[in-house]
Amino acid sequence: MANMIPLVILQAAISFSFLPGSYSASNLIETTCKQTPFFDLCVSSLQSDPRSSNADVAGLAHIAADNVNVKATANLQQITGLLGGATDPELQKALQGCVDKYNAIIQADIPVAIEAILKGNPKFAVSRATDAANEAQSCEKGFANPPKSPISDSNKVVNQLSLVLQSIASLLL
Amino acid sequence: MADTNPFLPKSSSDGSYPTGSQATRRSPIKEQLTIFFGLLAVGLFAALLIGKNGSYNAHVHENKHGSLATSTTKKPETLGPVSRGPAAGVSEKSNRLSAKVDGNLLVYPWNNSMLSWQRTAFHFQPEKNWMNDPNGPLFYKGWYHFFYQYNPNAAVWGDIVWGHAVSRDMIHWLHLPLAMVADQWYDVNGVWTGSATILPDGKVVMLYTGSTAEAVQVQNLAYPANPNDPLLINWVKYPGNPVLVPPPGIDKMDFRDPTTAWLTSEGKWRITIGSKINKTGIALIYDTTDFINYERLDGALHAVSGTGMWECVDFFPVSKTEENGLETSVNGPGVKHVVKASLDDDRHDYYAIGTYHEKNGTWIPDQPEIDVGIGIRYDYGIFYAAKTFYDQNKNRRVLWGWIGESDSEAADVQKGWASLQSIPRTILFDNKTGTHLLQWPVEETESLRLKSNEFNQVTLQAGTVVPLDVGSATQLDIMAEFVIDKEALEKATGSNETFSCGTSGGAAERGALGPFGLLALADESLSEQTPVYFYIAKGSDGNLKTFFCNDQSRSSAASDVNKLIYGSFVPVLEGENLSLRMLVDHSIIESFAQGGRTVITSRVYPTKAIYGAAKVFLFNNATEASVTASLKIWQMNSAFIRPYPNDGKF
Repeated sequence: MANMIPLVILQAAISFSFLPGSYSASNLIETTCKQTPFFDLCVSSLQSDPRSSNADVAGLAHIAADNVNVKATANLQQITGLLGGATDPELQKALQGCVDKYNAIIQADIPVAIEAILKGNPKFAVSRATDAANEAQSCEKGFANPPKSPISDSNKVVNQLSLVLQSIASLLL
Repeated sequence: MADTNPFLPKSSSDGSYPTGSQATRRSPIKEQLTIFFGLLAVGLFAALLIGKNGSYNAHVHENKHGSLATSTTKKPETLGPVSRGPAAGVSEKSNRLSAKVDGNLLVYPWNNSMLSWQRTAFHFQPEKNWMNDPNGPLFYKGWYHFFYQYNPNAAVWGDIVWGHAVSRDMIHWLHLPLAMVADQWYDVNGVWTGSATILPDGKVVMLYTGSTAEAVQVQNLAYPANPNDPLLINWVKYPGNPVLVPPPGIDKMDFRDPTTAWLTSEGKWRITIGSKINKTGIALIYDTTDFINYERLDGALHAVSGTGMWECVDFFPVSKTEENGLETSVNGPGVKHVVKASLDDDRHDYYAIGTYHEKNGTWIPDQPEIDVGIGIRYDYGIFYAAKTFYDQNKNRRVLWGWIGESDSEAADVQKGWASLQSIPRTILFDNKTGTHLLQWPVEETESLRLKSNEFNQVTLQAGTVVPLDVGSATQLDIMAEFVIDKEALEKATGSNETFSCGTSGGAAERGALGPFGLLALADESLSEQTPVYFYIAKGSDGNLKTFFCNDQSRSSAASDVNKLIYGSFVPVLEGENLSLRMLVDHSIIESFAQGGRTVITSRVYPTKAIYGAAKVFLFNNATEASVTASLKIWQMNSAFIRPYPNDGKF
């Protein structure tokens, strides 16, 4: 029994030693996300990436950029799928416009943003994040009424994730 | 100074986000309540979405005076401006109208005709791809040299190397091969910005920032491979690079853009490099005798708290009395010194005039309330990373500035290029105000002038628009003078209301004494127009204050371009008429008020007002004053900027 006590203490010490680490990581995520317009989205999207537990603000910015990329890539697939089946010329025009805009996000905005974050020139990350948000909104605005936007939710997510990225990258300025 | 979110209501008047104070640990009850309200919020959200289509990001903003902006435009404003935000180089202080997603709000697809029109005729730009900061400008063996940050692979920032071009006259440029590429461990992640120093014996040394393989920002030395080659085509990097690494206390990614060196009284060379310590922008000082070994001076040339990272610092003397430039080492009575910084935080270039104390390498501003970063800007539009050089050929100091795009990335990718340089401008101390510098297009710009039209004493009654029949209106040099009716100035009632270009309703917002000026890149029906104008505000004390603005709100039918209103107060002295010079060159407009005391550069992307359909008008939208305008308008030739010909004949 007496032998147990040091063991228990050791076990407790080990357990508690993990807490400060994860506490400060989620602390940084929360502090950072408070400075973005979409706190909950920011927190959930960062925490879902395992790298976030060890990341500094630049690391969180990098994750935020990756999050935009993942969502934008999914959107692009959705859009090209819809384009394949579209017969209404107005709808086709709007969808084609969205293809261009999402290509700009994926091939231009996000790679530039990541490079800027990694190389310590964050103003380019902020400006490309702003652009990505605008591209998503611009895609949405291409759908007149009718036809309504079939990708409204997807556009909104990319828009909001981009604004989260913009805010986090601004912290690096 | 976090960037503002353009898609949400402003929570504070300066547009910045409330920064989170220390995060508190949530108690379990708080956690449950958070979850409950979170679910409630999600439910409400869903309800909103399923219901009528509202905008998913609100564009309604309060202006500084707490009232919603109303526009008194003649035509309904159906296009919601897309905010580019401070990060994109523009002031965020502007009203936005509610941008409902309605049937009229279609995105305008850019076609090749519209996009190819955007390329300029006489502004420096490479044949394609991305450009940013001007680098190492100098005059050497009969040629003006211009280097620049360039991406050889894409129309976006990245893979940065040094582009190079030469000119006899700073207008007609010939492209040369890349001067430096990212081929060393100390610049493999970017051959970034730098400056040239010409030694007394005529030798050229170049200092530039390299982003190393570990993304550390270091300073490197380079020099011409063959000093006898007037074209300075090949460059050698000093084998012992880097010559400077980030000092203790300075972050490894906050150390870039070394300046031209100037001589100290001890015969050493002195340079300054911008950085930051927390949120204080700072210009570090180093002395060297050989450009290889450096000693850091204590403290800094200057620092201003709250301004953030100082990029592209510039430091140079100006004469208080003479109308010529001064070589960078000049000092003495009759000389003031200018410190300039490009602020990372808001993408604007600021300068201040003051006194240099060379013994301890410090500089004090004449007016601390308009210190670097909190006072005067070179340009109230898009203009960044500017750099001056002393042109010993014509004894003048010349300024270059990077003009970025304010359209969408998608359009840049489609058109295959992005960015311009400003027209090079001479810099002089404005001894009439004592507080400003004067910028003016280099005189060689006038060599592009072709036929001209003169308009003398055109009277513009309140509320009129007058077409100016000049033929083609996409390549113009306009010199204009405006005289406002004296009686109206006296009779107008003053008010306490403060005016600012950015928060105003643009050219459509009528005041007693303004706005009046020019409508550039306008189509016949004025559905697209870019007004550049003066607005006179009268205070309750009877004092007149003049503002100079550039209004992009109706510059294009396209919704994916910047629609903000740029501008600033412009000092107008007793006895001065209002004067304006404007260079129109396709998608760029550069406007100079009062001889260059206040300058605004703007990028314009019309969909209709292009080619032969672009026109220029005079307008007076004041309610109580008539204005008399006299102008001379020249057609401008192309500068035929092209690669240096292989046979050497051009």
